[in-house]
Amino acid sequence: MLPELAFDKLGADLLLAMCEGHGNVGPIVISKGEKMAKVRTDVPYQLVTILTNIYPFIGQKKLALLCRRCDEKALAELEKRGLVDEKRVLRIGLACSADQIKACRCSDPVPSVVHIGAPGKPAGEDELMNKLLAMPSEERLKFWTAQFRKCNKCFACTLNCPVCFCDDCVLEERTFVAEKGIPPGMSFHLIRTFHLSDKCVECGECERSCPAGIPLLTLRKMAAKDMKALYGFVSGDKKKVSPLLTTLEGEPMEDECHEC
Amino acid sequence: MNVEHVLTTCPYCGTGCNFYLQVVDGRLVGVVPCKTDEISLGKLCIKGYNAHAFVQHPDRLIHPMVRQGGDMRRVSWEEALDKLASEIKRIRDKYGPDSIAVLASAKCTNEENYLFQKLARAVIGTNNVDHCARLCHASTVAGLLYSFGSGAMTNTIPEFDNADCILVTGSNTLEAHPIIGSRMLRALEKGAKIITVDPRDTPLSRLAAIKLNQKSGSDIAWINGMIKVIIDEGLVDGEFVETRTTDFAKLKEAVSGYHLDKVESITGIPKDRLAEAARVFAKSKRAMVAYAMGITQHSNGTDIVKALANLSMVTGHLGKESNGLNPLRGQCNVQGSCDAGGLPNLYPGYQRVDDEQTRAKFEQAWGQRLPPKPGLTLTCAVKDALVGKLKAMIIFGENIMLSDPDITHVEQALKELELVAVVDIFPTETSSFAHIILPAACYAEKDGTFTNTDRSVRLLRKALAPPGEAWPDWKIACELAKRLGANGFDFASPAQVMDEMAKVTPIYGGIDHSRLDSEHLRWPCPTKDHKGTPILHTQKFTKGLGTFAPVHHKPPAEEPSEEYPFILTTGRNLFQYHTGTMTRRSPKLEREAPEPYVEINTGDAKRLGIVDGERVMVSSRRGAISLKAAVTDRIIPGSIFIPFHYAEAPANRLTNAALDPVSNIPELKVCAAKVQKA
Repeated sequence: MLPELAFDKLGADLLLAMCEGHGNVGPIVISKGEKMAKVRTDVPYQLVTILTNIYPFIGQKKLALLCRRCDEKALAELEKRGLVDEKRVLRIGLACSADQIKACRCSDPVPSVVHIGAPGKPAGEDELMNKLLAMPSEERLKFWTAQFRKCNKCFACTLNCPVCFCDDCVLEERTFVAEKGIPPGMSFHLIRTFHLSDKCVECGECERSCPAGIPLLTLRKMAAKDMKALYGFVSGDKKKVSPLLTTLEGEPMEDECHEC
Repeated sequence: MNVEHVLTTCPYCGTGCNFYLQVVDGRLVGVVPCKTDEISLGKLCIKGYNAHAFVQHPDRLIHPMVRQGGDMRRVSWEEALDKLASEIKRIRDKYGPDSIAVLASAKCTNEENYLFQKLARAVIGTNNVDHCARLCHASTVAGLLYSFGSGAMTNTIPEFDNADCILVTGSNTLEAHPIIGSRMLRALEKGAKIITVDPRDTPLSRLAAIKLNQKSGSDIAWINGMIKVIIDEGLVDGEFVETRTTDFAKLKEAVSGYHLDKVESITGIPKDRLAEAARVFAKSKRAMVAYAMGITQHSNGTDIVKALANLSMVTGHLGKESNGLNPLRGQCNVQGSCDAGGLPNLYPGYQRVDDEQTRAKFEQAWGQRLPPKPGLTLTCAVKDALVGKLKAMIIFGENIMLSDPDITHVEQALKELELVAVVDIFPTETSSFAHIILPAACYAEKDGTFTNTDRSVRLLRKALAPPGEAWPDWKIACELAKRLGANGFDFASPAQVMDEMAKVTPIYGGIDHSRLDSEHLRWPCPTKDHKGTPILHTQKFTKGLGTFAPVHHKPPAEEPSEEYPFILTTGRNLFQYHTGTMTRRSPKLEREAPEPYVEINTGDAKRLGIVDGERVMVSSRRGAISLKAAVTDRIIPGSIFIPFHYAEAPANRLTNAALDPVSNIPELKVCAAKVQKA
């Protein structure tokens, strides 16, 4: 059913999805006519990230992928920076399950078109976030300091992030994060938080892939809350809203630097 | 356009994480974690995420070479293998088969290691087959065989999640086994108490409930001290000791002299803290011990391992879920290379070569008379080469010129040999001494299996073709064996090799590639319908009753002196891996830890007038190296630490090749050294 949708209805050349294989569930890319095992939408692979890894190598081919609401938003962030071509990336709308919505504390779970799954209700606010916001700031700092001490500098949070796309990552630059040694210190996490504040779509992949169990999604949600309150900015808008931290008000997107 | 995600097993540490290699039209573009993998749970460390980075590096060896005069000359496989076979025959005829040693490899698959040892035993006719397990857990294999009857992790990696107490000693888990470390963090999150005992502060010890720093080389003293507290305070698991073990009286007698005052003076661990650690460990419902090189790499390593076995048995923390003694194996397949018989005294499956019945079984299976005498260990082979008793080494994927202790002597040994053949994926410090170099396929370019540290047999799946003319090691071993006139090497695939190995290896009896394709199997897995064994020693120990071993503190072979006042200890860091053959060619890893350094305590550095980042000379009785000082409070005064990854300042220029008499493991963790301003 998924291949027909991708190749016949949407006119894709390639399909990116998750399916069963070798006793596991993993990503798969097939061309028209190729078979795929049972599709599994319950294992949340970050397909936009997987797409961006292979995107430079697929030429002018059109690729369809399973697309949650957060994936749509991530693609919007990439498209408005000219990093992927909207016409070459076709979406198969995937509505997340109630469990997944809860796991992501997701307030915006339904994609614009639903091909698979039933639209679920948004989850309530992030409990940890509210708990932290109720704390005095010293205590909040203590909490995050303790969390960041567990960081093992695997870069999973950047490598799996659908909207981390800089060729040269500031987290790999010695001016900001000293090489050698773990944990890498507070600046590693805070630079990342601020750097992503105009594009993070709260997909939660950083938190899911963190071996140290640092509640990174909560950190992102806190930044997003401030962005909305202070600037009225919400990431993932398809319209050409100027990203707050990279463009001066009134300047057209065309003049914007696409690198950062 | 062909885009594939090939599920395979990480080539770095012994955790055995599975991940997907992303391949686009034969080009390796990335690594994607496998979210349903029971071991990694979709997490990877920085090395795992960069496991694709070295594979298509321009330095890869891509054609066979033989030495001609001073230069290496490119030759065909025919010529290289013919030359190697004729040299082996010449040396065997002239000096006998025991003048040749085969070094198997913990970086190669089970199937390949099975073939390496079969090549040595059934074709060349010697039990001289060994590999780098000699340098890491030889003392575990010997010690736990004595105590339990099986020298492997008693539990599984996921069980760390649910432990109430984890005693971590001589293991820098978050750096050396990061994804096992992440399990420990999960336990911590659930309220587990972590106890660390290490001369250095590690990323894990900074999170521990009880952090103890012992002097290097004093392990038996603190372990016996803990056992004495446990006995004195009535915290022994009496039922377990009574029904499951033997020789408790000997243990009681042995530890009776380890008063905590005395222990404190030997180890430097405050007595109250040690007593507290003993109580927490003994009283926890589910307690696991994890240990690594800090325990094993001593000239009494086997005894230290036995001491830890005593501690686990006396508290009954064995044979149950989240209760056990867990040696963390360092290489992707060091467990498997031991399982497959890459050891001079053991056939595949830990069957003794000096047991007549066993030998008869293998003689029948392989259709050859087999040598009855156990062979040379790696460390002894080097010593024998130095005195001209060993004439040839055939080295599959090992870099002894950086990994072995006292490399000045290793270098002399290699120069003495009439034949050095090296099979590897990159040129190495060792291959520069080779007469013949054969290019091998790396993990991403072949099928086979690795057995991880928790005895899970994990498939490697070929993701792309080897570069140039490189061959997988299994094919090289088979082609060489055939040229030496052997039968029994006609394998079309690694799966067929595993089928033969399973027939002669009871713990692998039920294992084959088609089962592994979809099942998670841990040995022992004796039959095709057996589901594998997650926890060892549940009803009884492999050997029947667990045996308490009375062991005593013994000072290290070399102690600090006036001239060499520091204790030098060596190890890994997070970003580099062993001799750096792969990681130093992975830009993101090299970027993080690009140069050698010596960690020295702030107080010691001040006294010597050394500032952080300054170049210093570190020397021992065996040599000297120049490198940068990393001044830190993370190492105790009087000790220094050097990672052994760096050829430009090799820590093993300094280390002591003093051997544990039982297992022949060298004392890589202690030698006397001095530090001077350069």
